[in-house]
Amino acid sequence: MSNDNGISKNLLWKLLRKHVSALQMVGFSLASLVGLVIVLLALQFYNDIKPVFSSDDSFMRQDYMVLTKTVSSFGSLLGASAEFSDGELDELSRQPWVRKVGKFTTPQYRIYGSLTFGNRALRTYLFYESVPDEFIDELPDGWGFDPAEGKVPVIVSRDYLALYNFGFAATRNMPRVSEGMIGMIPIRLTLSGNGRSETVEGRIAGFSNRLNTIIVPEEFMQWSNDRFGAGEQRQPSRLIVEVSRPGDKAISEYTAAHGYEIAGDKADSGKASYLLRLMTGIIITVGAIISLLAFFVLILSINLLMQKNSRKLQDLLMLGYTPAQVSAPYVKMVLVTNDTVLVVACVIMLVCRSLYLPMLASLGVTGGSVIVTVIVAILIMGAITAGSVYAIRRRIDILWRN
Amino acid sequence: MHEVLPKVFAARGADGSEIWCRDVVLERDRKYLVSAHSGTGKSSLCSYLYGYRNDYSGRIVFGITDIATFGIGQWCDLRCRHLAYLPQEMRLFPELTAMENVELKNRLTGYRSHGDIGQMFERLGIAEKAGEQVSRLSIGQQQRVAIIRALCQPFDFILLDEPVSHLDESNNRLAAALVAEEAAKQGAGIIATSVGNDVMLTIDKEYKL
Repeated sequence: MSNDNGISKNLLWKLLRKHVSALQMVGFSLASLVGLVIVLLALQFYNDIKPVFSSDDSFMRQDYMVLTKTVSSFGSLLGASAEFSDGELDELSRQPWVRKVGKFTTPQYRIYGSLTFGNRALRTYLFYESVPDEFIDELPDGWGFDPAEGKVPVIVSRDYLALYNFGFAATRNMPRVSEGMIGMIPIRLTLSGNGRSETVEGRIAGFSNRLNTIIVPEEFMQWSNDRFGAGEQRQPSRLIVEVSRPGDKAISEYTAAHGYEIAGDKADSGKASYLLRLMTGIIITVGAIISLLAFFVLILSINLLMQKNSRKLQDLLMLGYTPAQVSAPYVKMVLVTNDTVLVVACVIMLVCRSLYLPMLASLGVTGGSVIVTVIVAILIMGAITAGSVYAIRRRIDILWRN
Repeated sequence: MHEVLPKVFAARGADGSEIWCRDVVLERDRKYLVSAHSGTGKSSLCSYLYGYRNDYSGRIVFGITDIATFGIGQWCDLRCRHLAYLPQEMRLFPELTAMENVELKNRLTGYRSHGDIGQMFERLGIAEKAGEQVSRLSIGQQQRVAIIRALCQPFDFILLDEPVSHLDESNNRLAAALVAEEAAKQGAGIIATSVGNDVMLTIDKEYKL
């Protein structure tokens, strides 16, 4: 830092660094670092987890609901129908919040299923339903039914697999199975009714987050009901409704007025989403307040510093130094400090993110973009820097006038 | 200068001054002495001319421009290239060495070579003090450092506020000769003030403040 005369190259800094308080600068840096990291992490976490609340196949998907009629002991005694009449269906379809209505079709025969793997077998009476394909969230390969082939693909709720793996298998010393493996386990379905009994081959072809039941293709349901059913048309007792405005108050009002029940009420996910937004908002506010306080610490220490060095600053102006030249050392100090805080905060945010992302992987979170967060970081530090530079320049201008 | 008077003197009036409340014209290439008693506004006059105070009535005009219209940028330019100033209190930076103080100005103007500066230190007899911290120099030595610093720029006028108040006769002569020589080289005017110990210049005109 010195030339051949032994004179420091940056005489201005040598002169003006006096009274620069390392403690105050460290205090500001830490405070603004903490504030910025909180804001950035909250924002990034929100961005990363947001798809869970909005993407198509998400478990938090809110805009499908399953409607049934409320079962009351009083109603069943009076013989009130649990089925939806054509009139009720029409009225429901005409509601402004309804996009599509699908009917669950139930089998009109008995089913006995057996499932063999290893040398163990599970045998049970079964129940399944069918819905129009458009209501199924993940249509598996080979979905459909051809009577000539006689193979039935089945979709089960993903919850059932979890129930088996973590509940049943764990306590019975049965092997746990993955989604891929389970498709290879053959299921034998014995259908009986209408005076006949036949066995068809089935396999679990896929899993659903949306439908909390066992689903077979509509073609198969029609074919089997024709063959084993009594031949009577039955009205549906469960409906799947795609709604255009999830969380609309009109939905709960309508269902309550008509004595319908929303099964597996997904309105909860609306609440969860709202809570997430609220929490993120609160955390970001806290971070922003800390950042703001840090900014005031910086402004105060700059004012104090320039107050202490005001005589020197005035003397430099007397020598013909311009206000820009005189403020340059302090501007540079602020820039270096804030740039360091910015970089360190972004690094901390990215490190924390790499720690929490694996934990969220089981929810299907792959992580959103970090660009927005980095831009916000740059904007915040840019604003703090601009504010401080303005304070420095204003101070010098005041010195000029006195 | 047209009828310039410090505002604090407004009640008292000009009181026989040859500068306050008069029209005074100062020209380049001439040497002026403003002699005064303490408290007659000698330093105020310098601060008005150097543009860091404006609590006066009347008008001060450089060339054809009223200095009240100058902005910050113009003053900075004036102080670097047209108007040299040695304040009475010198305004050196005590924590810097004598040479650093001079360099601080010279780096701004880029006017003097290292050789020039070294020579000026030699001529004023403080060459061995160049590397010394200013706070450790005597007032007389500091005054000579301040004179060298004031000369580290091109100027049309040099404003010397009691430049030799702490110099003995021989040093007064040396300093006066150096200033006169530099002013002559540039065809610049000298305005010196004094409360008794006059700088040893051949004065063209003396004003009583």
